Amino acid sequence: MGRPPMADVVMPRLSDSMEEGTVLQWLKKVGEEVAVGDELVEIETDKANMAYESDVEGTLTEILVDEGETVAIGTPIAKVGDAEGSGTSAAGPVAAGDPPPPTAPPAGEAHESAENGHRVKASPLARRMAKEQKLDLSQLQGSGPAGRIVKADVESASSAGDAVGGVPHSGGDREAGSEHMGEPTAAGPAAEGPSETAKGKTSYEDLSKTQQLIARRMSESKATAPHFYLRASVDMSRAVAGRRLLKEAAGEGDAVPSFNDMVVKACALALREHPRANGAYRDGRFELYSRVNVGVAVAAEDALIVPTLFDADRKGLRQIATESRALAQRVREGQITPPELSGATFTVSNLGMYGIDGFSAVINPPQAAILAVGAIEQRPVVREGEVTSAHLMQVDLACDHRILYGAPAAEFLARIKALLEEPLSLAL
Amino acid sequence: MATQRMREALRDAMAEEMRRDEAVLVIGEDVGVFEGAFKVTEGLLEEFGERRVRDTPISENTIVGAGVGAAMGGLRPVVELMTVNFSLLALDQIVNHAAAIPYMFNGAARMPLTIRMPGGGGHQLGPTHSHSFEALYLQVPGLLVACPSTPADGKALLKAAIRNDNPVIFIEHESLYGARGEVADGDAEDGDGLLRFGEAAVRREGSDVTIVGILKMAHVAADAARALANEHGVEAEVIDPRTLRPLDLDTIVASVRKTNRAVIVEEGWPHGGVGANLATLITEQAFDHLDAPVQRVTGADVPMPYSRRLEQAAIPHEEHVVQAALAALEGSL
Repeated sequence: MGRPPMADVVMPRLSDSMEEGTVLQWLKKVGEEVAVGDELVEIETDKANMAYESDVEGTLTEILVDEGETVAIGTPIAKVGDAEGSGTSAAGPVAAGDPPPPTAPPAGEAHESAENGHRVKASPLARRMAKEQKLDLSQLQGSGPAGRIVKADVESASSAGDAVGGVPHSGGDREAGSEHMGEPTAAGPAAEGPSETAKGKTSYEDLSKTQQLIARRMSESKATAPHFYLRASVDMSRAVAGRRLLKEAAGEGDAVPSFNDMVVKACALALREHPRANGAYRDGRFELYSRVNVGVAVAAEDALIVPTLFDADRKGLRQIATESRALAQRVREGQITPPELSGATFTVSNLGMYGIDGFSAVINPPQAAILAVGAIEQRPVVREGEVTSAHLMQVDLACDHRILYGAPAAEFLARIKALLEEPLSLAL
Repeated sequence: MATQRMREALRDAMAEEMRRDEAVLVIGEDVGVFEGAFKVTEGLLEEFGERRVRDTPISENTIVGAGVGAAMGGLRPVVELMTVNFSLLALDQIVNHAAAIPYMFNGAARMPLTIRMPGGGGHQLGPTHSHSFEALYLQVPGLLVACPSTPADGKALLKAAIRNDNPVIFIEHESLYGARGEVADGDAEDGDGLLRFGEAAVRREGSDVTIVGILKMAHVAADAARALANEHGVEAEVIDPRTLRPLDLDTIVASVRKTNRAVIVEEGWPHGGVGANLATLITEQAFDHLDAPVQRVTGADVPMPYSRRLEQAAIPHEEHVVQAALAALEGSL
């Protein structure tokens, strides 16, 4: 079975959670030579924008997906011609057609000339159905391989025809309409014209890839992971004093660890001691991870991005401080890459800088827990019968009860609290 | 009903037919004292003695030749060849004689000969022991070809083969000898417990795609159908033809007319294979019902490798069938 002379370039899977991608920009033009490793196309995934490098070589003969279009992973987006003709024979199990007879012209050529002659490609069944329903095949859009009209296309054209009174009707108009999904006119009720409701005029915004991902994953988390919440008040007085000392001792350009960096480090050390908190409930099993990778939620423009601090349990506070600043910077500049956003085993979300006392967070699935961190406030406390003041910080741990139960979760949170209240232990 | 392994079901089929008819005998290498290379003839020598359970030298063409002569002389021999690969040594007797003699003498000589042979890969026995030659025997007019995938079918088809007056190539799969399944008890009288050649089994009903698989690939097809239903919402109809000649094309074509798509799975080679042949038959008889080209999933186009990984890579697996079914459904999901 010879390799076909054309290789399809398909929408690659560039991240774990990617289901579809948007072509942002073609970096090669039709007719240009492409070598393996050449940047071919820039793709927007659910997490980041990436230049995709070609893993085939040849001439870029056809671009199948235009800039701005979104397609599912695995969908052909371009064709790269093999200048050498057929390649080596496939050695794996074959699920393929017959090789062309030796005397026939290359399959690709025969194919093209037939298309130029305006031959409509349709399956035998689709032809028969179209004939029976008196539908003009040339008016239909094919959704099968290489645009072949298949049964489903005839059926949808047929039902579209019924909807307008049984008159055979081209599916093309409907297709065109769907390109303007963002506009209210695409929706059914809007056909009555834009009307003002008690809510006033409605405007619509399309979600970015990241916003779609957030919507999907947060709903999935709340719908499938039974959340419960533990709250603790952490006395940060020593951490506040310690940080003042660190700040004084820091040289020019040194990153001084923030309170959030201390929280990350405390969580990482506690995670190392509590394997269930550093795991996931997945497909009826506990997954326990050997690395402690803490995700830190960072607010980006109109989105929430969680870059990963890998092996946070083994990194010093200064290194965590340096890395977290660099990651946050890259998030804000839109330069963050999928590998930097994957692999987290736990998440810390901090809204303290907005003056929030405390909050309950949604678990970042499939992680076992997330820690929500509030502001550090000076408050009156009673110590040894005396009212005095302390720097208190509220932390709320949201846990997936399928893997992290009440008592172990309480021990885990108590450990985080103890580490933060004795911050020297973070430096060890 | 009782649960049996394939090898036990096949042994019972032979034992029951030998009890029923004195003309039935078993010939082959190591079928007697050693009770068969795969232990399919276990206990037969003890029960029926050396006259009816005959160990032979290593000489396949002679063994089958003896079977041909015995069959012409009125006996009903069951010849065991140790593997499908070794049957190639006996092709002269099988093709030039067993298949042709009933035609050459206008039916005056009958050929109630059953030739059992196990094939298929998966045991790291390399290219000299692991091939699948269903398509090769399917090509020869005059031969009937059986390829059972379950113990019940194995027993019922082997009994039917022994009672058939035509030469039958009875192909077994080495990986299925230990497979368990429900098998009808007892000594079948008056055609009870026989399976008519040319009767396919619909193992699973479905409306989206027809998957035809033989021998071990009947099981792979069924597994793929479950995966298609669970992971893709695709309802596949799974058909096991059970015999390739005669072939129950009616059942297959009726299914394709319903589903509009077909995938054929076999362990043999792609060129001129069982799937190539069946794809042509489907195209000829159901052209206007096809919504996509018939898909084939076959063994790799190479002699079977020894290396475990390479061998596994050369044999179709569930995911290949799933991919082929999804390819046939492209644009329709």
